Amino acid sequence: MGPEGNEAMLKISPSGIRGTVGGPLTTELALSFAQAFATYAGGGTILVGRDTRRSGEMYRSAVISGLLGAGARVVDLGVCPTPTLQLAVKKKRAKGGVAITAGHNQEDWNALKFIRPDGIYLDRKQGEELLEVFHQGNFRMAPWNRIRPVEKWDGAADLHRRILEEVFDIEAIRRRGFLVALDCGNGACSNFTPALLEEMGCEVVAFHTKETTPFPRDPHPHPASMSALAAICKALGADVGFAHDADGERLGIVDEKGEPLSEEMTLALAAEARLSRRPGILVTNVSTTRSLEEIARRHGSQVVRVPVGQAFASEAVVRMEAVLGGEGSGGVIVPEVLPSHDSAAAILLLLEFLALEGGSISELASRIPKRFMKKQSLPLPPRRIYSFLRALRRDLERERAGGAADFTDGVLLEERFGWIHFRASNTEPLLRVILEGRSERGLLRLERRAQKILREGGLVL
Amino acid sequence: MKPIRTLKISISGVRGVVGDSLSPLLLNRFAQAFGTYSRGGTIVVGRDTRTTGEMVAHAVRAGLLSAGCEVVDVGVVPVPTIQFFVRRTTAAGGIAITASHNPAEWNALKFIGPKGLFLDPAEARELLDIYHQGDYQKVPSSGLRGVRRGSDALDYHVRKILEVLGPLPRSFKVAVDPCDGAASLASPKLLRALGCEVVAIHDTPDGLFPRSPEPLPENLGELRRAVKKSGADVGFAQDADADRLAVLDEGGVPLGEDYTLALAAEFLLPRKRGPFVINLSTSRAAEETARRHGCKVYRTRIGEVNVTEVMEAVGAVLGGEGNGGVIWPRVNFCRDSLTAMACVLHLMAREKMPLSEIYASLPQWRTVKRKLPLPEADPAFLLQALKEKTKEEGIFDETDGLKFETSDWWWHVRPSNTEPLLRLVAEARTEREARALADRIERQIQRLLA
Repeated sequence: MGPEGNEAMLKISPSGIRGTVGGPLTTELALSFAQAFATYAGGGTILVGRDTRRSGEMYRSAVISGLLGAGARVVDLGVCPTPTLQLAVKKKRAKGGVAITAGHNQEDWNALKFIRPDGIYLDRKQGEELLEVFHQGNFRMAPWNRIRPVEKWDGAADLHRRILEEVFDIEAIRRRGFLVALDCGNGACSNFTPALLEEMGCEVVAFHTKETTPFPRDPHPHPASMSALAAICKALGADVGFAHDADGERLGIVDEKGEPLSEEMTLALAAEARLSRRPGILVTNVSTTRSLEEIARRHGSQVVRVPVGQAFASEAVVRMEAVLGGEGSGGVIVPEVLPSHDSAAAILLLLEFLALEGGSISELASRIPKRFMKKQSLPLPPRRIYSFLRALRRDLERERAGGAADFTDGVLLEERFGWIHFRASNTEPLLRVILEGRSERGLLRLERRAQKILREGGLVL
Repeated sequence: MKPIRTLKISISGVRGVVGDSLSPLLLNRFAQAFGTYSRGGTIVVGRDTRTTGEMVAHAVRAGLLSAGCEVVDVGVVPVPTIQFFVRRTTAAGGIAITASHNPAEWNALKFIGPKGLFLDPAEARELLDIYHQGDYQKVPSSGLRGVRRGSDALDYHVRKILEVLGPLPRSFKVAVDPCDGAASLASPKLLRALGCEVVAIHDTPDGLFPRSPEPLPENLGELRRAVKKSGADVGFAQDADADRLAVLDEGGVPLGEDYTLALAAEFLLPRKRGPFVINLSTSRAAEETARRHGCKVYRTRIGEVNVTEVMEAVGAVLGGEGNGGVIWPRVNFCRDSLTAMACVLHLMAREKMPLSEIYASLPQWRTVKRKLPLPEADPAFLLQALKEKTKEEGIFDETDGLKFETSDWWWHVRPSNTEPLLRLVAEARTEREARALADRIERQIQRLLA
């Protein structure tokens, strides 16, 4: 349950700004943030890319004028997947990048995400520094003769493709000759992924590939938004079906029987595929399925949990030289490609595994320990979210003296039948409530417990 | 408290120095205000060649789109081409991104109504109210419209000029200096379409103005040399946004920008008699040319909108300003250097005389124009004091600033609409007299300021 349909949403945070179009996410705000970012980056080259949503062109203009006004050299990549933009920032030795995309959010949302020179998102501290520059409002203003024309670069997709080809065993994938169904959701991967997979010798049946047409489904790939893909997989007898979000970060999977898998399964399958061949550290957030620990144990690997937010995972992946990262929302990090979510890398990781080890997606999925998860969101004013979390933490610290509760990100309760996680969304004004039980009955008990905690805090789910 | 000298928000639009006070945010808000004022219709956006033009255009686009407008981007074109395009299409308005004759560090937004005219003072005040209230129209994602390229705007404009004036009966060699401005491509295009041989200088549209953008005689040395060297029949110089035109004769002699309108009148008014409208500062050369052809002359306040307003009201056949601005409603309801060029060439073809001789046949007046820095003095108070001090015998015209005239000379002083300075115009029958007159008034002003 998302906040879609509610008007007037805005979240300004260290991960960027996100909000509803025609509401509080004004072009003034986008322009000022871009100018603040160029000020923070100290001028230099800044790359701009966007996903396909209708408001993209408007925010692109706002961002470009803000960057130019601050004297940045702007390179416009046009519509492109966010990981492609991130790789281009690194490759071009740019001072930064601005991704204009609300990722998995609906058409009427948009957002700016800020990328630093190494291609990953600003971390929390940097995000806070950017916010400070924004709030101070004392932006760089370039004189007339330091303002340069916008440059275009269309080599980013090739760059991304070349890196993927270096990392994965393309020959093996070619030999297997997969039949792949692909739902691009009319997003930023509409051209990129079909071309990539065809190059890998796959037979590709791609649909929803019209970049100029509104999103045909919820851009977040989860079982409910993959019904069309499931039907097509079944009809074609495809080896696998993949669904993209709007900017190429999250991936949804349908198996060869036409069964859509939970978005939590994307990282789990990637973990099974990678750790079985290459044990090491897997980085994920505290809100992602505990089945990962079991997978890791099986393969002599280790799971490291970080707060929710890509910047935390990226930072940990780099620092700990992890072999894989990601989160339960369908984002997978293959560190040799990019220490950030990249759905194309996730696709190739799975195809390479199937090509080398044989078997099917459903067989791979059958090796994942079964868990029962429920994710819910409560739209609330930020003030109420934070006061609820603070009070809950205070009570727990008294009751449990720190045991069986984790405060890495919000409040995470370890219970007998599973766990309950309460946290504030980084991107929207929402209280997230995530439960995972080891059995269906366990999940029911967790739900009752969660409802009781919410009631005690004056909230109703 | 000191006013900011690098920003001017007025009924002529918003104008300022980029990197100083003219920020992308301010421009974006103005565009939102104009989008709101235009009720989310289709807006034509064009610009001159300034280096800051692209930055400004993006700020404007974002603002217009968020107010629900469709944007037609006509790119780098003369301002009269933007106005022409707005008038001839169903667009709800236009924005011209240009600081016309101001130096390269300046830029500005000029707002155009559905008829292709700049907003008149009442309309501009409404826009300013919306801007200041800050409550701009916003549309949801589903209501957003896009950006369309209007790359045929210039062709359309050139075609119209040829269609209205007919083919040029003979070919001329023409030297042209568009000042690396908006007419860098447009002027050669029109002249070639008229069958002329073109010698173009300063036609690289990079906005690094090689000379001061105002087409004043002292800025036209290179064009003068180009005319002489190439043996051209005529030289044409434009400002950065190509609304004004200055003309040089076959000897490379600048005729003075006031004579552009006189030449256009000499060609057009015999073809069709009718009211002729000029502003208070325009030379008597234009006025007397019109009278020779039996046309009634109207004088207006300074500013293109004031001229076009009266032109509309009296059904003028021609109008313009002494700064080289020719307004011929058959083509365009604004100052249009391309139309003016075509008129001068047609006149040369009709008269079958060198341009210097045509010029000599026109009423002869010499005009001196000066810009005097205006420190923080109240201009109204200053003009009142000037009126008392000059001891002129007769009636002052106080329609716009202060003007005094006799049958042999006149002078006019007023605060600029666009810059923090006073403009002084003095005119007499000889250069020496005009200069002496200007010296006298300037001295008086300096004394008042001191």
